[in-house]
Formats: sequence, C-alpha cells, structure tokens
Amino acid sequence: MKKQALYLVSILIIFSMILSACSPATVEATQAPEATQAPAATQAPEPTAAPETSAAGTIDCKGAQSGDVVTMFYQWSGNEEERLNQILQPLVDACGIVVQPESSRDQALLDTRVQAGTPPDIAFFNVTQLEQYQDLLVPMTDLGANEANYPAYWREIGTINGSWLGLPVKADPKTLIWYSPVAFEAFGYEVPTTWDELEALADKMVADGNVPWSLGMESGDATGWTGSDFIQDILLVTQGPDYVMGLISGEIPYNDPGVKQAYEIYGRWASDAAYTVGGAQGTLETGFLDAIYLVFQDPFAAMMVKQSGFAGGEIAKQYPELAYGTDYDFFGVPGAQGLQGGSDWMMAFNNTPAVQALVAYLSSEAGGQSWAAAGFDVTPNSAGISAYTDEALLKKAEMLANATGFTPDLGDTIPGGFGSAEWAAIISYLSGGDLDAALTNVANVQAEALNK
Amino acid sequence: MSQSKITRSSINRFFNRMPLHLAVIGLMLIWLIPTIGLLVTSLRPVQSINTNGWWMVMAAPPGMESYNQYCGECHGPDGSKIETADLSDPAVIEQYPRSIQLLGMLRQEIDGQPHMGDLELPSAQEAADIAAQLKKMAGGEVTPRLTLNNYIDALVGYRGTNNYVDDCEAGAQAAGMNCNISDLLNPRGMGRAFINSLIVTIPATILPILFAAFAGYAFAWLDFKGRYWLFAILVGLQVIPLQMTLVPISRLYAQLGLNGTFWGVWLFHTGFGMPYSIYLMRNFLGTLPRDLFESAYLDGASHWTAFYKLAIPLAMPAIAALAIFQFLWVWNDLLVALVFLGGKHPVMTYQISNMVSSLGAGWHLLTAAAFLSMLLPMIVFFAFQRYFVRGMLAGAVKG
Repeated sequence: MKKQALYLVSILIIFSMILSACSPATVEATQAPEATQAPAATQAPEPTAAPETSAAGTIDCKGAQSGDVVTMFYQWSGNEEERLNQILQPLVDACGIVVQPESSRDQALLDTRVQAGTPPDIAFFNVTQLEQYQDLLVPMTDLGANEANYPAYWREIGTINGSWLGLPVKADPKTLIWYSPVAFEAFGYEVPTTWDELEALADKMVADGNVPWSLGMESGDATGWTGSDFIQDILLVTQGPDYVMGLISGEIPYNDPGVKQAYEIYGRWASDAAYTVGGAQGTLETGFLDAIYLVFQDPFAAMMVKQSGFAGGEIAKQYPELAYGTDYDFFGVPGAQGLQGGSDWMMAFNNTPAVQALVAYLSSEAGGQSWAAAGFDVTPNSAGISAYTDEALLKKAEMLANATGFTPDLGDTIPGGFGSAEWAAIISYLSGGDLDAALTNVANVQAEALNK
Repeated sequence: MSQSKITRSSINRFFNRMPLHLAVIGLMLIWLIPTIGLLVTSLRPVQSINTNGWWMVMAAPPGMESYNQYCGECHGPDGSKIETADLSDPAVIEQYPRSIQLLGMLRQEIDGQPHMGDLELPSAQEAADIAAQLKKMAGGEVTPRLTLNNYIDALVGYRGTNNYVDDCEAGAQAAGMNCNISDLLNPRGMGRAFINSLIVTIPATILPILFAAFAGYAFAWLDFKGRYWLFAILVGLQVIPLQMTLVPISRLYAQLGLNGTFWGVWLFHTGFGMPYSIYLMRNFLGTLPRDLFESAYLDGASHWTAFYKLAIPLAMPAIAALAIFQFLWVWNDLLVALVFLGGKHPVMTYQISNMVSSLGAGWHLLTAAAFLSMLLPMIVFFAFQRYFVRGMLAGAVKG
C-alpha cells in the first residue's frame, strides 16, 4: 500500500513538473497576441480631429522602436479613456510604440504595483502622488519634456525638492458656475461680474420666487466634494490664491477665521431652502449629477449650479436637445482671484526611449493640440489653445490661459485623508454641528499630514 | 363520499398553510425588489433613468391631461383646430421647446386679450408637460420606454457620444468601432471580458477540485505518518486573508514573469481555493463506509482504482457543490483579477468597475453590465442547485 501511495505522489509530482515546465512557453504564447489586443493598439488608425498630418512630422520618437511597450496606469475610464486613446493615436502611428493601459480609481492598486517592484512605466495621477513616489520618479528634465510650453506656476506645482517630477497633462477648472441663458433672459438677470453682484443676484432670484442654487453634494463616500470646491472658490474670492497655497503648505491652519468666514458664506446659501433646492437636507442628499440636472430640466428647479467643466458634457448627454451658449453656459466665479481646479499629472517610473517619446510628444505642440482637439478637458500645455473645437472648452482654456495662477484642489493636494476630513466638516456643519469644532478637526488632520 | 373528504381536508390544509405561503411569497418579493429595479433600470433609456425612478416606467406621461385642460378646448384634441396656430405643425412647435418659452408666449396677449382667456396660466410643471406633449403631437421623436441600448453598449464597450446603435447609423461611431459583429471582441466590451472571465474561471475551478480530490482521498484513506497534523495545518491555512499576500505574491510573480498572465491567476485561485476544498473533500470521503473500500482493496484494487472507480463517483455531489462555490467566487472576484491581470486581460468585474467615468457618468451601463455578468452564474446555479443544497450538508454531519 505504501508503494502505491508513493506511486500516486510521484504521479502528482510529475504532473506538477509538466505544468511548471509548460508554463513559461505557454505564457509567451498567450502574451504575444496581447500586444496587439491592448485597447489603444487595436484601434484602426482613425482620422481623429487631431491635426495628424502636420503633427506626424514633428513627433520625435527618441529612438523608440516599433513594438516598444509602454505600460500605463491611470484613473480614467469610460469615455475618458476613449479620449486619451485619440490623443495618443498620432504617437502610436508615428513611432509604432504599443500602449498597455490599465485603469483603476483605486490608488491602492498603484501602491501594490509600486511596492511589488513592478510599477507602470507611466502613471497619470494626482499631484499628491508626486510627493509620495518622489524617490522613484524620473525627473521630467531627464526625459526631455518641453518646458517652454508650460507656464512657470504649473512647473512649480510639479516640482518636489527641486526636481520637476510631474508633467501636468489635464486641468479641470472648477471655478465655474453653470446657468441657463434662456432662463436668465426670461427673468432679466445678468451674469454677475463681482461677488457682490452675485450675492445681489441670488437675493433678487429669491425675491422673484426662484431658487438660485442647486448645491447637491451626495457622492457616496466622497459626499461633500462639491461643497469643498465651493468653499475653496469663496476663499479665492475673499482671501486670494496666496492664502489657499498657505493652507496647502500648512502655514495657515484650517481653523483660521478666514476659512470660517468662507464656511459661513457658503452655509448661508447651502442650508436655506429659499437659496438652494431642499435646504440643508437637499444639499446633503441630492446627488451631484442630479444637482446639475435640476438647473437644466424642464421646469428648472434652480437657476445656477457651481460645478467644474465636466458638467457641460453631462448636460449634453442628458438633454441632447439643449444647445451650448443659448440653453446652457457658464461663467467664472465672479471676483475669484486665480482659478481652482483638479489636475492630472503624468509621472514616469522608468526611463526608456518609448517613455521619452511619450513625454516629448505630450509636452510638444503636436501633443498639446491633440489633447485640445480630443476635448479631454483643458490641457495646461500652452500650445493647445489654438486647437479646441469645443466652444465651452475654448472658453475654459482661455480662462486658464489668462489666469494668474492655478491653485490645486486642497483635498487632492494635502495627503493623509485631508479631503475626507474636509468633507466631514462640511457635512457636520450643514447638519447643524458646531463649526469651530469641525474646523479644528480638519486643522488637526492638516497639521498631522504636513508635520507642522 | 371519501373523495369529497379528501378534497375538503386538502382545502383545509391549503387554507391552514395560507399565512405561511403568503409570508414566504412576501419575503421573496422583498428580496427580489432591488433586482427587479436593476433589471427595469437596465432596460430604460439613459435620459429616463436620470429623470425618474424605475417604478415610473409604465406611468402615463402627464402631458395629455394638462393639454386637454389648458389647450384642448380652443386648439382641439389634435391641435389643428385653429388654422393660424396649428399645433401639429413642427415649425410652430419648434419655437416652444420648453416651459419657459411656452409660458412666455402664453403670457403675451392676442388682439388685446389674454392668450388664455379666463383660464389661469398652467404651472411650470404643467407647462413642461404640455411642451413635451406638443412635441409628440407635432410628430417629434418619442423616447421609447424600454430599450436594449444599454446592453448593446455594455457588450461592445461603447464610449462614444450617444449610443452604439444610433451612432453607427449616423456613421459617427467612436474610434475603433467597426459597426459589425467584430465589435463584440472590443477589448473594453463585456463580450470580450466574458471570454476572459471564462478562461480565468474554468481552470481556476477545475484545478483546485482536482487537487482537493486527490488530497481528500489521501487524508481519508491513505495511512501515512502525520496525516492528521498535515490536515490540521492545511485547514488552518484558511485563516490567511488573501489581501495580505497580494504584495509578496505580486513580487514573486514579477520575478517569474507571471504578472498579467492567466497562469498567475489560476495558480493564485488554486492556492487559495485549496484549503477549503481539501477540508470539504476529506470530510465527504471520510463519511463513506470503510467496508466499501476495504472490500475493494481485498479484491485487489489499488488506491488509484479505488480513487477513480469508487471515491470519485460517490463524491460527485460534493464535487458539484465545490465547483459551484469555487466558480461563483472566481467569477465574481475583482480583487485578484485587478491585481494580477489588470487591464491586460480584463475580466467582467474589471470591465464593470470601469464602465463609469471617474466622475460617475455612464452608470446606466452598469446596470446592464451587472446583468450580463450575472447571466452565467445564474445558469450554473439553477442547473446545479440540487447539488448545492446536498453539498452544503456534505461536511456538516461528520467532522
């Protein structure tokens, strides 16, 4: 019987040996077709709106060979991915490099990859990750980024301890208020140009029986982010960009009276049913996408919604019959000094010719124009300004180009759960909690995150 | 006589059990409501999803009633009673697409008289309903109540401006779409992901069961030294949470070149499926009568013969139950597929998580994608459900 047991075990061992012997060869075999199956690669060379013919001549492949693979990690998905593919297509066509993208909003996955020693060649992520991975990243100057296309303030944001680690690829200005020109016209309202005018306009709307704001902020476990955006805009109006940068660096604690004042200005609107749909409860419970629809549905429930640029796309999708410019439009938050917004950064973990080609392309004129033509928000690359085909994007790009500065979103920039703390403070304030205590909590998180 | 007795008693029994039946049906309905809601939502056009809840799907549009109340008397039921203001003429209606324009027009006077005469102006909501109704009367496009577009878009992974069918018809499809059957293999569609999920799931179900059957037999019927200790250790391995091993195994795989390959996922699922499978198989095989095996050995059967002639056929219920468990677990797994396969060979769960944009746009596709991914597990479950119950009890009696 023992003999037979041994026999059985040896069969198992042989079987597993065969398995393991087979595996490398088969792995190669399964991998081979995958290069062509990667999303970006399968796409037949489509005539995109990008100025391909003129761009093709100016793309520098930096010695990348046809078939060189660039692995990428980004948090875009859905139609955002579609746009990125359009942008990269000229480079893929010109140099034959193969893009292997991977998409997840879970930053932990990127951390896992980095810790496992297999980071992607390129990651597109938030500005915080520049600091987090600063020891692993290849400086943009080594990769041949064209810095002439970026205003100094952009490069400063991407510079950590003296080296320029991140290339800003996409900006999403948030300092915008969306409204319906038709509705404004029907009631004789005019787009305000100063903060006082905005307050007066809101009061006038209330007097006319209209609800000025749609401030809904429900967004799952990120509930509150539309509120923190609004408060940061108010800070840009009342205190200015230096103050916001002071909050980011930790020089100004979050429980400073200036911040408290901004919360109170916001709270006056956000918790009053006359000023916002549903009052405090409506603000807390209305989804941020629904909040956009409330202004443009028929009949409208509110006159204005403060939301970043993506709102335009949402309106177009939900109400295909509405036209930009007459049925929906936006203006900058009046009186704001500088712009606030989200930004996406490209960081490189490896220095290969294909990565260099990608950096060179995205920072070049051709890359900036492709980005603008694809209409993937606004590119900080100053060469893009001539290539926007979408009116709303052009307007935003001009706002960005004329802006004296760009302050990143506080929650995206300060690490260590600061964003969530900020949202918790807003939720607690609107639910009737003590504002001072809430702000002190956030200030503690801020101090801890920045080691002050 | 006796016949009627039986009938009466069975009727009595039926009514006696009525409360129980009602309670069970009620509970089942409560359990099913979210799924029904998801199903209805997945069949609605995106604009309707964002406008009202799924339970409104069959509600009559309120426009007709409001139209009759405010306009019907003068303009006639089909809107063409007044020749100078023919409401069935698209050119007229085009000027009043929404309540704001409509109300603005109604406030104006006609020949010095209020437009509405003695009638009060409709409320904003009513005006919006009337505007929608007028569009319909003028032959405008009516959004259907139900549509398959969400399913089609999810299947081909469509991310263009409108939806796949309309955009293809207009020739304005997104890049990479051919508008034919080959789009089913688009790497970002659920169609392709379905195949990848199958490739991951089938070996990841068979392998652990195969090994567990060997091991279960060995632990139950082979007499070797330290088998109870070995068995205890193996079963104890169940306490290791797989999340803790992601980084170390990812590192190991990076050295072996297994990251992003199907082999890596098969190996991982096999490894983590093993302790439980072995436990279940050993317990099941251990409950088979000892005499059965002993007489087989006496008749000259080797362990190998006893294994595949006796143990395997008898263990079929346990194997089927294990297969269902393991299949469902691997099929629904996102974490392992995300870490070890990622975007290289996207599986269904990965695709579902990437259907929406980072700002939550496009979630109507999620509902359809969720149903597509539920399809196969449902078939498996209903096909094998009798084994499912039996298998759950397999290890329960004797430990």
